[in-house]
Amino acid sequence: MNMEAICDRIIGQHAFHPLKNIVMVGIGFRKDFAEEMLQNNIVQPAFIEVAPENWIGVGGFWKKQFRQALEKYPLYTHGLSLSIGSPDPLDFQFLKKVKAFLLETNAQLYSEHLSYSKCDNAHLYDLLPIPFTHDAVKHVAERIRIVQDVLERKISIEIVSYYSPVAPEITEIEFINNILAEVNCDLLLDVNNVYVNAFNHNYDAKQFIDLLPMERVSYIHMAGHHQVSEKLIIDTHGEAIIDPVFDLFEYSMHRLKRDVPVLLERDFNIPELDELQEEMTRLNEIKTAALKLTPYVTA
Amino acid sequence: MSLLEQTHRNQLALASYCRTGILEDIPGINTENISQYRRLVFNVIDDMLQSAFPLSYELLKAREWQMITHDFFSNHACQSPQVWYMPREFYEYLEQTRPEILNNYPVLLELLWFEWLEVELFMMEDRGIDYRITGDLKQDAIVLNPEIHFQHFKFPVHLKKAKKITATDQGDYYLCIHRLPESGDVSFTDLSAAFVRLLELLSEKPQTAATLIDDLCEELKIEQTTEITAMCQDFISIAMESRLIIGFKNN
Repeated sequence: MNMEAICDRIIGQHAFHPLKNIVMVGIGFRKDFAEEMLQNNIVQPAFIEVAPENWIGVGGFWKKQFRQALEKYPLYTHGLSLSIGSPDPLDFQFLKKVKAFLLETNAQLYSEHLSYSKCDNAHLYDLLPIPFTHDAVKHVAERIRIVQDVLERKISIEIVSYYSPVAPEITEIEFINNILAEVNCDLLLDVNNVYVNAFNHNYDAKQFIDLLPMERVSYIHMAGHHQVSEKLIIDTHGEAIIDPVFDLFEYSMHRLKRDVPVLLERDFNIPELDELQEEMTRLNEIKTAALKLTPYVTA
Repeated sequence: MSLLEQTHRNQLALASYCRTGILEDIPGINTENISQYRRLVFNVIDDMLQSAFPLSYELLKAREWQMITHDFFSNHACQSPQVWYMPREFYEYLEQTRPEILNNYPVLLELLWFEWLEVELFMMEDRGIDYRITGDLKQDAIVLNPEIHFQHFKFPVHLKKAKKITATDQGDYYLCIHRLPESGDVSFTDLSAAFVRLLELLSEKPQTAATLIDDLCEELKIEQTTEITAMCQDFISIAMESRLIIGFKNN
């Protein structure tokens, strides 16, 4: 059986695999290593991911680099400033720019965070936790629906890491699942975030994964973190992925039973590119092994 | 929208705490960890400002930098969803509020603006323009680089280290900042007011070097001597080499 036939058997006709490529492990395209990455083949991602906010309206040197990258790799996108959980009105002017960017770049997927980053008409440029409340579920679901209508595409919403709950009425898993029950969007499973949250809030990460509707997962993020104390981990994207997070990824792949694109995020403290490639290779190996062990199921 | 007033208030309280450090009573929070949010949020702001304004950061004492950046983030509602654009809002905030520190550092505002211009010129969208590289300087219309900014400073922030600039340096400094079309690098050129005006005239429309020199002399009410014509022609040649003038008009 040739490779393409094997891929067909394993990944089926899932919409997120235009390349029919099982090794769908990508990397966050960061300016810190963009030039080096484009000049050599040390890092060989199946796709790249960018935050539209960092590239909209950008010209000159970076536009040339970005164009080169787009010629080489399919693009996935991960927004930062939409502030889907904000009490402020949605920024439709910005949303239209995002839409134009997604069309111009032929972005395969757009994801955003289940958090808020703008409040009282001020951007904070970081991800604040939404209160786990019933009204916030309705509010967020409605906003996701509006965003999807404007963008004319389904979005993938990411479970974020958080360091404190805010006025919770329900649990984190109830909050996420209630939103997914309310609105027809996809789920971005950030495995490291689940690990970080389980550690910080003292729950079992695997049980949390078990409770997620895995059929809704369209995309996975993997990253490193920084443990700042015995009780607290901060999600930094500035370290290599640790073994327990690789293990949780393996567990997630077994639960998932199908291939989805997986992204390696590395935003700070960038190592040599071959170290990033080693992490991507390990993600590939885990994914491939997990899928071979799992009976074939299409999405 | 279905958000209850209480939820809105709690979200507002957390965001406000991140900006000001004043923590209101928010139910259910982990009091040990909540400060991480203020730290993380401010780190993003501080990193971005330090990266955009390395010279200004170096000029100020650590506590002065901390004071103006905290004041900015506490009192200014950042409007741009694109964080790389936020440093411009920092400059504008200082320009509008005129904090006392500007009296101690008279060059600070111009230094911040000088640094921002480099960021903006480097990052800004391409301004596509039709031109050709080869032509005859004696008869073909020439085209100004569209990615250009003309600037007048009272202090020579582009020529001297800010710490070494004194009141006696005060004067009129004109410069052009432009982006090189091939590399995307940003270049600063110190110029006389007359040559800046010549380039401004060219920014209105492509024209021949001869017409441009005629127009300049007429506007400045100076006699167009052979010497002045040669000087202007030399400048135009140099400006073409440095890509201030990007090329020749396509017929």
